[in-house]
Amino acid sequence: MNDFLIPHRVNPFHRANPVAKLICMIALFMLTLFTHRLDFIFYQMTCFLLLLVFFSGHRLWKISIIMTPFLIVFLASSSTMILFGKGDTIWWAWGLIQISQESFYRGIHIGFKAVTFASEGLLFVLTTPSVALFYALMQKAKLPPKFAYSFMASIRLLPMVWEELQIRRNALKIRGARSLRGGMKWIGGLKLYIVPLLVQGIRRAHRVAVAMETKAFDGKGRRSYYYPSEYSRNDCWVVLLLCAAVGAALLMSVFLPPFGVADVRYQL
Amino acid sequence: MMNTSYANVIAESDIEVAEQAAVVPDIILGVQDLRLKFPGEAAFVFKDLSLSVRRGEKVLLLGPSGCGKSTLLQVLSGIMPEMVEVPLRFKERIVPESRGVLFQDPDTQFCMPYIDEELAFVLENLCIPREEMETRMRQALDQVGLFFENLHVPINSLSQGMKQRLALASVLLADPEVLFLDEPSALLDPEGRKQIWEAIHSIAEGRTLVIVEHRIEEMMGLVDNVVLFNPDGQILGQAPPMKLFASFHEQLEQFGIWYPGVWEVFFMSRDGEKLLSLPKDAPRSSLADPLIELKQFYGYRQRRAVIEVEQAEIYPGDFIVITGPNGAGKSSLLLSLMGLLPTDGTYRLQGIDMSGDKAKKRRTEKAARKIGFVFQNPEMQFVADQVSEEIAFSLYEEGDDKDNISSLVRQAIGQFGLEGMEHRHPYQLSLGQKRRLSVAGATVLNKPVLLLDEPTFGQDAVSTFAILSLCEELRRQGIAIVMITHEEKLADTIATLEWRVVNGRLVERRLTKRGETIAKRNGAIGAWMGHE
Repeated sequence: MNDFLIPHRVNPFHRANPVAKLICMIALFMLTLFTHRLDFIFYQMTCFLLLLVFFSGHRLWKISIIMTPFLIVFLASSSTMILFGKGDTIWWAWGLIQISQESFYRGIHIGFKAVTFASEGLLFVLTTPSVALFYALMQKAKLPPKFAYSFMASIRLLPMVWEELQIRRNALKIRGARSLRGGMKWIGGLKLYIVPLLVQGIRRAHRVAVAMETKAFDGKGRRSYYYPSEYSRNDCWVVLLLCAAVGAALLMSVFLPPFGVADVRYQL
Repeated sequence: MMNTSYANVIAESDIEVAEQAAVVPDIILGVQDLRLKFPGEAAFVFKDLSLSVRRGEKVLLLGPSGCGKSTLLQVLSGIMPEMVEVPLRFKERIVPESRGVLFQDPDTQFCMPYIDEELAFVLENLCIPREEMETRMRQALDQVGLFFENLHVPINSLSQGMKQRLALASVLLADPEVLFLDEPSALLDPEGRKQIWEAIHSIAEGRTLVIVEHRIEEMMGLVDNVVLFNPDGQILGQAPPMKLFASFHEQLEQFGIWYPGVWEVFFMSRDGEKLLSLPKDAPRSSLADPLIELKQFYGYRQRRAVIEVEQAEIYPGDFIVITGPNGAGKSSLLLSLMGLLPTDGTYRLQGIDMSGDKAKKRRTEKAARKIGFVFQNPEMQFVADQVSEEIAFSLYEEGDDKDNISSLVRQAIGQFGLEGMEHRHPYQLSLGQKRRLSVAGATVLNKPVLLLDEPTFGQDAVSTFAILSLCEELRRQGIAIVMITHEEKLADTIATLEWRVVNGRLVERRLTKRGETIAKRNGAIGAWMGHE
């Protein structure tokens, strides 16, 4: 599972400072959130998908796997809006369902937005190892080490929980917990999983915490850093590239508008 | 040399105590009149206990499971009450300023995914400049006998024994004068156990060591002084190892300490003799039909064959130990027999074909009807809130009637030594009791085969012998026992057959001496081994 997220090649996106990237991403999220022009959001989606494919450092099949859930989000969110949204130019109506030109455009607009958010987010996540992110946050954003290390330690514990879940599932299969099926008994069934996993998890977390504290970790004091977090020329490249992407999207939406809808919001 | 402290977590009174200690430089750590009680428990763990350790002394705290020796180590090392709040009181306590603690579980001592990052975590806490880090890391790893060209190695790729040595290296980074070792080898296989003790031996010079262990073979040349506790948390005696072992031999035996020669002593005892004896009515295993037949049998994980068995049979009354290095596929073999892994090839269970396409559906359910399974971690298989219900669970599932169930449960509780525990929650039992309960739950239905995944792992000697005696008792009833173990003694003494698994293959099936004796008496060695 860990190997799955290791990129097969690195570029300035991977080398850039995670905090710089994070600020860029928040700015992009804001831009995407407040874009109401269908053409602009369409080109934003196109540009960031391309960036994701060419700059995430992962192979296309991996990106496709990771993107699949977001395509489902695209279909779900846009179809709801298309089928049930408000609008005046009716294309087709059947009972509660009513497809209008306005609702259709608003629907695909929401879908495009979802995919844009996903591409931007994945571009960040796939190019930023969690350890690098927390080191950068501690050094550049003054995140207390207490929080950074509790996150990093818990990430390490996750595979163990997964392993235990499988052991527990096997154990219950063997014990033959058959009578627990059906009716309200699923609560009892849930308890059969949650109690042992929680007990092991809490015990383990407690032990890790004590082990960390005995190694002179106090969660707040001064510390040196194994991975120095510096800003570099890579950050400029990333900023330039992202700006270029937004600029290209804006220009194309002005000169090559595929839809020609200025504002998708419903106006009376 | 860098002496570290985490004085900010030590209460002020302790610092005063440490200053007082400077007047008497000999004593480096200790506690006087310690009283400690866990909330909700009736009895004190310690009542007015005093103990002190001289600088450079190597002390072993020895006692039965649950006598509080690990708790005492936590008080002495300043973990209790500073990090773990526990109601306790003492007249005086000296906590050494420069100290490090090595814990039992290799999986819960790290917070970072890679070796270099984990070691860096410690150095960062000490504010060591980045430029010095790598040299120090290599020095520490060198001390514990670990060598890596590139330090950026995932910790998860290490064996448990290597992890434990890495944990020791990370403790050594701070160059502590006093080392507290809390059962550092209890969860390791013999190979890892040997290596961690070798590492501890090599770094012991010039340091004060406080060790808690119930396995003392490996530290004979290491400790100067042994403190023996009784089950009530009182000190029975304190003396150099040889002297103490001579005068407290009986107690060591009674407390389940793993001392050199403990097996031989057990085999001389009445229970041991009973275990090894071969009563006339021993099952005529070789003449019966096999319970399990395997031929060209494969078990898969993620489409990769992880265990391969050319041919093997299990007969009633067999006591099979499966041995082999870690990760060789021993557990995979048991899981394949339970139908929990995808399999291929011939597998017949009491004559029923388990390998056909039709059998693949619900085959775990089918296998579980004939085979009991005991997991390595007993807690993972408990399903009920009370000991008696835990045993009764499978009986209810089978739809037995109530009177019958309660009599069977009562019988099992007696047989497995769980009297008085009927209404406790399984999680509240001791390690040995949990283990016995897990065996009880798996065997109450009298299934013809019992599979056990390292049932003696981490257990003290008394519980180990108890489990083995129980298994032998079941074997005499005609049940086939199949047990994964790292305990070399088992193959030579109690088992009738040894299966060796290496690199995902069952490479050897060997009749043990005991097995030979039984087979000769039944006059059918060939049939037993499946050659005829």
